[in-house]
Amino acid sequence: MRRFLGPALLLLLLLAGGLGNAFALEQFTDRLTGALLQAEEQVGQGDWEGAEALIREAREAWHSRDGWLHVTLRHADTDEIQIGFDETLRLLLCREMGEYAAASAQLVQHLQLVSGAEQLTLQNLF
Amino acid sequence: MAVAFVRTIILYLLIIFGIRLMGKRQVGELEPSELVLDLIIADLAAVPMQDYGIPLLSGVVPILTLLGLTMLLSLLTMKSLRFRVLLCGRPSIIVRDGVVDQREMRRNRFTLDELHEELRCQGVAGVERVKYAILETNGQLSVLLRAADQPTTAGQMGLSPAEPGLPILLISDGRVLSRNLKDRGLDRAWLLRQLKDRGFAQPGQVFCLSIDETGTVSCVPQEGTR
Repeated sequence: MRRFLGPALLLLLLLAGGLGNAFALEQFTDRLTGALLQAEEQVGQGDWEGAEALIREAREAWHSRDGWLHVTLRHADTDEIQIGFDETLRLLLCREMGEYAAASAQLVQHLQLVSGAEQLTLQNLF
Repeated sequence: MAVAFVRTIILYLLIIFGIRLMGKRQVGELEPSELVLDLIIADLAAVPMQDYGIPLLSGVVPILTLLGLTMLLSLLTMKSLRFRVLLCGRPSIIVRDGVVDQREMRRNRFTLDELHEELRCQGVAGVERVKYAILETNGQLSVLLRAADQPTTAGQMGLSPAEPGLPILLISDGRVLSRNLKDRGLDRAWLLRQLKDRGFAQPGQVFCLSIDETGTVSCVPQEGTR
């Protein structure tokens, strides 16, 4: 029975690692999408500075976890999201309401898709 | 390019480590499940090696999962006979008393040409000389000849030749294998005496030196040392 322990533990560790990573990514992207949606609301109320601060904070949060994200996600996805943050912030600073809203919505969707792809669901399995 | 270089080294070492964990059998004789494992691992390793837009972990995690799963399955096959049959199948008797079992041949999709090729490879001229030919679970054909067709052994002739036992290498390509020397209860002084008796001044002049259990020493000099 003890000989089963090694491989069984390895498999459990890998499963736990995968689930833990998916959970942490979901929490993280939820926080970022929350900040982006809140920024859109603030822009709607005319608070451009408040929205800018929120987006900068979210962008920094994404950037600060670059190591983890690059190790676990496809590099094309992490790069596109980084570019998405930069683009959203640039349009916000230009006060381009329509284009900013579109870029922000696209970024939110991208974050949700990246997180969703890591979840252990039947949809992702098949 | 440096990323591809380092990734290749990591994945190569991981696969070597994994294959070592699987044991020696993995290298020579593949059961169906082991063949599948090798094919998948090779493919999994190749993708992150070439495409470094994919995280290394997406190759490493499936490889580790496969290795863990295979270790678990091989332990289960050791514990349970039913599980072993399920995973590895049963050996099939293709030839019995010189008669080919056509049903078994069809069941294993084993052609007559393949059977004759296997028999020829093992030095057997015809099916009629075969007592049993068994298709093993690793795909190899074991051929057992009829008693009348088997080579005569010294025992059958009433002879009792000396048992040479396992020869052990003491010098390999000029290097002294101290561990083997110690295992045989010998020392360097004995080895140097042996070399001196054969006209060598140092181990570097010898390509190979071995000793069997009766104490017979066999020595091959390095080319160009004499």
